[in-house]
Amino acid sequence: MSGTPILRVEGLSKAFRGLKAISDVTFNVVSGSITSIIGPNGAGKSTLFNLVTGYLAPTAGRVSFKDRLITGMPTNRIAELGVARAFQIARPFRDLSVAENVRIGALFGKAGARDVEAMTRHALELAAMTELADQPASALTVGQLRHLEVARAIATRADLLLADEPCAGLNPTETAAMIDVLRRIRTSGVTVVLVEHDMPSVMEVSDRILVLESGRLIADGTPAEVSSNPQVIKAYLGTPD
Amino acid sequence: MNLIAQTLADGLVLGGIYALAAVGFSLIFGVLHVINLSHGIIVLMGAYLALILSETLHIDPLLTMPLVMAILAGVGYVYQRFLIQYAVDSTPFASILLTFGVALMMNNIMIWLFSPDMRNITPSYAFASFRLGPIAFDAVRVSCLAASLVLLSCLAALLKYTSLGRVIRATAQQTMAARLCGVNVRHVYAMTFAVSAAFAGAAGIVIGIILPFSPADEAIWTLNAFVVVVLGGVGSPAGALIGGLLLGIVSTLTAQYIGPSFPNVTMFLLLVLLLLVRPQGLLGNAFAPSR
Amino acid sequence: MNAKLGPAAFLAIILACAVVLAILPFVMPPFYVRVGQLMLYSAGLAIAWAILGGFAGYASFGHAAFIGVGAFAAGLVEDRFPGLPTPLLLPLGLLAGGAACAVLSAVVAYPILRLRGTFFAIAMLGVCKVCAELNNNVDFFQGSLGLNFPAIAPPDWDPAIFYYQLYLVAGVAVLLIAWQIRRSRFGAGLLSIREDEDTARMLGVPTERYKRQAFVISAVLTGLLGVIYAHSLGYITTDSVYRDDTNLSLIVYSLLGGMGTLFGPVIGAFMLVFVTQVILARLLDFHLFATGLLLVVLVLTAPGGIIGLVRGFRQRRRAKNVAPAE
Repeated sequence: MSGTPILRVEGLSKAFRGLKAISDVTFNVVSGSITSIIGPNGAGKSTLFNLVTGYLAPTAGRVSFKDRLITGMPTNRIAELGVARAFQIARPFRDLSVAENVRIGALFGKAGARDVEAMTRHALELAAMTELADQPASALTVGQLRHLEVARAIATRADLLLADEPCAGLNPTETAAMIDVLRRIRTSGVTVVLVEHDMPSVMEVSDRILVLESGRLIADGTPAEVSSNPQVIKAYLGTPD
Repeated sequence: MNLIAQTLADGLVLGGIYALAAVGFSLIFGVLHVINLSHGIIVLMGAYLALILSETLHIDPLLTMPLVMAILAGVGYVYQRFLIQYAVDSTPFASILLTFGVALMMNNIMIWLFSPDMRNITPSYAFASFRLGPIAFDAVRVSCLAASLVLLSCLAALLKYTSLGRVIRATAQQTMAARLCGVNVRHVYAMTFAVSAAFAGAAGIVIGIILPFSPADEAIWTLNAFVVVVLGGVGSPAGALIGGLLLGIVSTLTAQYIGPSFPNVTMFLLLVLLLLVRPQGLLGNAFAPSR
Repeated sequence: MNAKLGPAAFLAIILACAVVLAILPFVMPPFYVRVGQLMLYSAGLAIAWAILGGFAGYASFGHAAFIGVGAFAAGLVEDRFPGLPTPLLLPLGLLAGGAACAVLSAVVAYPILRLRGTFFAIAMLGVCKVCAELNNNVDFFQGSLGLNFPAIAPPDWDPAIFYYQLYLVAGVAVLLIAWQIRRSRFGAGLLSIREDEDTARMLGVPTERYKRQAFVISAVLTGLLGVIYAHSLGYITTDSVYRDDTNLSLIVYSLLGGMGTLFGPVIGAFMLVFVTQVILARLLDFHLFATGLLLVVLVLTAPGGIIGLVRGFRQRRRAKNVAPAE
């Protein structure tokens, strides 16, 4: 795991007509790590996510990927550079099979030479979807769809995977399986940034945790550092009266 | 100067009638989100019904309006409830293709029943005209315009003040919430279609009086309605009026200054341009959530 | 599906069918030769339409525009070269028609492809109507006057058989182009656009470029077929080529056979032409009604067309076979 930041966010702010959703957020993500973004509801996690992936233009600040400015770049250009996103509300290509879905990721995604079939197989394996490869996407359960989302994103040969609440609505077994997939992805060399609510999983798998509250970054450290941070405890539990 | 004024006046008169002809289509698009390609056929049904009734009952064609509207309201209700409803929640194309298929069938049936020849409904006061200053008005067209405006106002009043109108608007704005409040959405959809069909038929009577008509015109009236909606906005009589008047003026100006065979080109160009630039029309969607 | 057949086997089968089809007109009565012409022409048009409408999901309600533009461009250009030897006339016409369609579609693509779904469909209908009206009312195009096409069939050939073979060659060519697109990265991209355009874009598919390419390819192929059609008629006016029933039929072919598949449009075209030309041959008055009824029935009962029905049947049978083992 090298120490170079693969993602650099500097002074990012977003205001919606006077409502400051994100205020001056700065952090680095180290290559080959798993970074989680947590925070109470309404803290701005989704907004931050959308800003980094180019779905929203920031009011101020910059986002750099591999030392290259990607602020406000169109989504398909960002994909060509090697950033992939897995959505909480999965959007599979319903009429295609699991393998065909993943293959689209392998065919496109990051610019450069590729071995499409090998990449498809690799992505399916990482996401534990090899057995379901020939199933139509419309026949999958929610948990399986999340795996498909991740598999398709990995197939794009991304160097950075942004996962939006991949464990939302999953039971403990499915959650553990998803966390396992994320670990395997990290081992394969891909950097992962996730937004998550499931605290035990986040604490267990993350190398670094960022805590957002009301649009501001209130903590940035290892799981141990963050869980003993009084500001974080106050944000989640409130002060004792 | 007089020529422009005359052309504009003609355009306004024509436009009022276009508005009436389009309002039913607009309502269906706004409430059911269905593009009803059989709209033109219903308009023509109104015309043919008025023709038959006025000839057999020997009454002025405009007086057949209540009966024609009642008949077509019933037809519209049944058509929506027992046919179109099955395509409403399907893909957006399903209802377009379904209504297109019905339009083709009805087109063929009309050709069998009435022959493909042009027909006309001639009221007793045809050929009368009067002048307002330098501008000449044709009595028939003006009385038809008056009828159109009255009908459009009635529809606006129905939507705004009656309980049926309220429930239609509620269903259009938030279908799921309406269902949860106990609204029988299928019934509301069918009632909306009934209202739409009634007004389409009324428009048909008016059109039949002014212009010669034949079964082949159905496509033109459907496309006309589409352009009016794209121009003026979806789901409201006011939008239909604005769209209709604009289209009427554009048509007569084109016919006068570019050439008598060009109004259709302008209409279609307008359609394409507006779809690209502002598909929701000048007044936007009447049932869209407010800011 | 086609994936099970290797490309060599697929090509072999197609070629074999083509050879059989090529021999048929010599043993069929002339009426059926003409029906065959119409079937092959319609199948070619159906596949060309489906490249945009079936593969990419952008169903156009106005593709007849390209038949018209192709036909009239060919006719007007060929008119300027009266001394040209006959065998060169058709290639010239094809070049002119193809070029005209390429230019028109390339220009129209930019604004029109920003629309989606039903708005795109109706806008294309609008484009078709604009082209038709301009064609009819602007003297230069001779739309209302009509355009003559020189006879290009070789003197010792029966013209009906000549055009049949021409349509066959054209149809096979269009089929192979569509097949090649479908197997390619471009084709996979088009399918993903149809399924979910925004997600496709996010995965790195160059959606805008691919849509435009599909649009232009579809338009040019349609136009080229239109050029052949115009020659087979010999004399065309606006109404012979800018036809509403063509616009409708192109959609129905795919609906009937299976939207988005490779052979669906072919099956749909063959069937619809057969039904209207052969079964309903004496009932000309009935055509509109029959097509309308077919459309209604299809929409309500079989939105996936014939291929959809077959697949559904196979899937249900497979499910029944698997279940007892568990």
